[in-house]
Amino acid sequence: MAELTAFAPAIAVLPFVSFLVALFAGKYLPKKGAIAGSLATGGSLVLSLLMLYTVATGHAYQATLYTWVGGDVVPFELTFGILLDQLSTLMLVIVSTIALLVHVFSMGYMNDEGETGLPRYYAELGLFTASMLAFVFSDNLLMAFMFFELVGLCSYLLIGFWFREAGPPSAAKKAFLVTRFGDYFFLIGVVAVFATFGTAAFGGPGVEESFPALAEQALNGEATVTTFFGLDPAAWFTVIGLLVLGGVMGKSAQFPFHTWLPDAMEGPTPVSALIHAATMVAAGVYLVARMYGFYALSPTALAVIAFVGGFTALFAATMGVVKREIKQVLAYSTISQYGYIMLALGGGGYVAGVFHLTTHAVFKALLFLGAGSVIIAMHHNEDMWDMGGLKEKMPVTYYAFLSGSLALAGIVPFSGFWSKDEVLYETLVHGLGGSPLLLAAYAMGLLAVFFTGFYTFRMVLLTFHGEPRTDTARDPHGVRWNVKVPLVVLGVLAAVIGVINLVPIHALVSAVPELLHDWLYHGPEGLNGEHYHELVTSAEFAGYSAGTIPGLGEVGTLFASAGVSLAVALAGSGLAIALYRGPDPVAHTDKLGSLKTVLFNNYYQDEYQVWLAEGLTVPVAKAADGFDVRVVDGAVNFVSSLSLFTGDRLRRIQTGIVSNYAALLTLGLTILLVAFGALQGWFL
Amino acid sequence: MTSRPRLHTSGKQLVGLVAFALFGVLVAVFLTADFGTAETFAGAEGITAAIGYSLFDLDAGSIPAEGFLVSFLVIAVVLDAALDATVMLATRDEDDVDEAAVTDGGREGGDR
Amino acid sequence: MAVPVEYYLVLSAFVFCVGLFGILTRRNALLFLMSVELMLNAANINFVAFSYYHGNLTGQVFSLFTMALAAAEVAVGIGIILVLYRNFADVDVTKATTLRW
Repeated sequence: MAELTAFAPAIAVLPFVSFLVALFAGKYLPKKGAIAGSLATGGSLVLSLLMLYTVATGHAYQATLYTWVGGDVVPFELTFGILLDQLSTLMLVIVSTIALLVHVFSMGYMNDEGETGLPRYYAELGLFTASMLAFVFSDNLLMAFMFFELVGLCSYLLIGFWFREAGPPSAAKKAFLVTRFGDYFFLIGVVAVFATFGTAAFGGPGVEESFPALAEQALNGEATVTTFFGLDPAAWFTVIGLLVLGGVMGKSAQFPFHTWLPDAMEGPTPVSALIHAATMVAAGVYLVARMYGFYALSPTALAVIAFVGGFTALFAATMGVVKREIKQVLAYSTISQYGYIMLALGGGGYVAGVFHLTTHAVFKALLFLGAGSVIIAMHHNEDMWDMGGLKEKMPVTYYAFLSGSLALAGIVPFSGFWSKDEVLYETLVHGLGGSPLLLAAYAMGLLAVFFTGFYTFRMVLLTFHGEPRTDTARDPHGVRWNVKVPLVVLGVLAAVIGVINLVPIHALVSAVPELLHDWLYHGPEGLNGEHYHELVTSAEFAGYSAGTIPGLGEVGTLFASAGVSLAVALAGSGLAIALYRGPDPVAHTDKLGSLKTVLFNNYYQDEYQVWLAEGLTVPVAKAADGFDVRVVDGAVNFVSSLSLFTGDRLRRIQTGIVSNYAALLTLGLTILLVAFGALQGWFL
Repeated sequence: MTSRPRLHTSGKQLVGLVAFALFGVLVAVFLTADFGTAETFAGAEGITAAIGYSLFDLDAGSIPAEGFLVSFLVIAVVLDAALDATVMLATRDEDDVDEAAVTDGGREGGDR
Repeated sequence: MAVPVEYYLVLSAFVFCVGLFGILTRRNALLFLMSVELMLNAANINFVAFSYYHGNLTGQVFSLFTMALAAAEVAVGIGIILVLYRNFADVDVTKATTLRW
């Protein structure tokens, strides 16, 4: 059974092969590479499930596939390797499932709609899937960074797929630059990890030294590491954590690096579903979960993560309330939900964070694919105010979308309720245990639940309910099986996947297992949830302790928190239903007046960032360029002009007049004779 | 009225002072050098004969001299070569008009 | 009593420097050549003086050779001046300045 793990690299190699096939042979294939891509991701899914089973039977796996730089000559090794443990196999299954469903959906969205350039599309999808899967099973931070960048590149390529129009290339460039800005700090963090620990390995069975373990030993006084800038190890580890967090925040679109994600909706909807909802933006938070043994050592880093997460959750949810286009609402929803995952991870709820990551991947992909189905029906018009009444015409889409929306809003018993509730519960108890920052983050997260429910049901009602507001809505374009099947699959999953971690039910009926909790708690040494829980609650490291609402006890707090978040979600949803029901909904958000303008313009963050680039960076760049041209080039040119000048003057000795030459000869001879005479003592 | 050559007295002639400087240096060196006693020839007769003998590498002169046969032959060749070279340099090419020999400034036509 | 050899050397230096002065200041090419002849003759005086000083006839014989060489050189020099005149229409050495920068 353990020998199956030798096939683990094929998980990423298969989609890479489909990339090559689509790139070179795509134009000869009937579906331009879709079948190859679907088969490859199907194969990856099967292999991922096999790896999941292997790990479940107790065989976590780590292997080094290739050594770039290593041996005795250098103090550290740069390798490519695979780490298969509970977290990575779970994520592999999620990524390959959604990739497969997106490939099938793309046949309906792209092929059936007669799009051109499809070999390029499927090639880029294949490359993306391969990179994302390789990122998930990376065993060290450098390999993770390399594939992090590669998925960013694929995101750029796919957002800019329709590059002949004006919007997509600009959005692609913005996505690339904003994430790259964060990745710069990530790169410095990777270098810092190598310089401090000599290794960037995450850990795993058979790995002697991993940097989280070394960090923990250094803080316990059992090992020594090199720190820089005169900082003591705890402070320096916080610095490293914050540097890597730069890349995480960029990729997972947290404030202030969130501005690229709404613009990324210029790409095709399957791309938005795969990359900008379920997988690529998950890469950032996955990295935090992967390195949790390192982050749990630093209370400051955790506090930053939690606060940024909570703030982003609220911030993005307020902006989603006023948008007109369906994909824009979903984009801000994505930013907001990843804020929740960050909040969970920062608040010490490792299992909660991974749980919400899983459920969010499912229901957000579902919502995007549903939106894609609606967009096909509406002939690529995304404005919700032009839709309406689609639920009679597109029942499959409607029910799938409704399932996803209920999960997003967090209504029991859909999956989003269980995961969001656990996120908020973990934050609340750790906040009550003595961290007011976490309580503030919890409050922001709770308020965001209200807005989430509101914008979700506003979206559902405007799109599917009421009377059709335009002709296209009255007579929508039909969709085929390749659109409906993924929607059905995901719709069912969004409803039921909450069972993997039913914390409140388990508290009442202990026979009901907390599957995800148990799964993540049994892992290789140093990489399991139990170890993280120890670090998070130990006073030397993160120092979180679990408090309770006074007078309620642990179970009481659990149910009170669940009840409060459910009530707030129902309140938000109910308000939206009350405002937007009926045959002819009115744009109630106009009543917000100038606040709506601010929200619609995204708090002017986009303009602010453009100003940072143009007003701040460009003058600095111009000054640097001026320095380079005037001072550096000036010095070099001065040397050359000096040489030219002296040459120009010296050559005038050659006058061509023989008498001048004779005079110079004589002069030279005289001087030589005098010099020799003086030196040799002729004149004494 | 003919014009006779005039002495050039323009400023550029100061260059010639370098020659005087060289003369000064040479005189300074020669007069302060120590030569010691001179050896003269044994007799004034037979100098020319001795020169002749040394030119042909013959060892019959009373005054010591070195053999210069090879140089004699070489200088003969050199003189001959110089003569040929001069003639070649001076030969006018066929279509060259020697402007120096034209006394009327190059006008076409006859005597008038 | 023999003339001390320094006097001959001073004489030869003087003649040499006169020739040198002529080279530096003369503009007519023929006079330039005459100055060169003077310098060669100064060298000859030097040879003969040292031949008498050392009591060896080598100096005198060699001075014969230098005379012959001077003659050869003047012959070629006159030929060159002829060509120079053909190209520059003047025997002024300051006019023939095309071999310059």
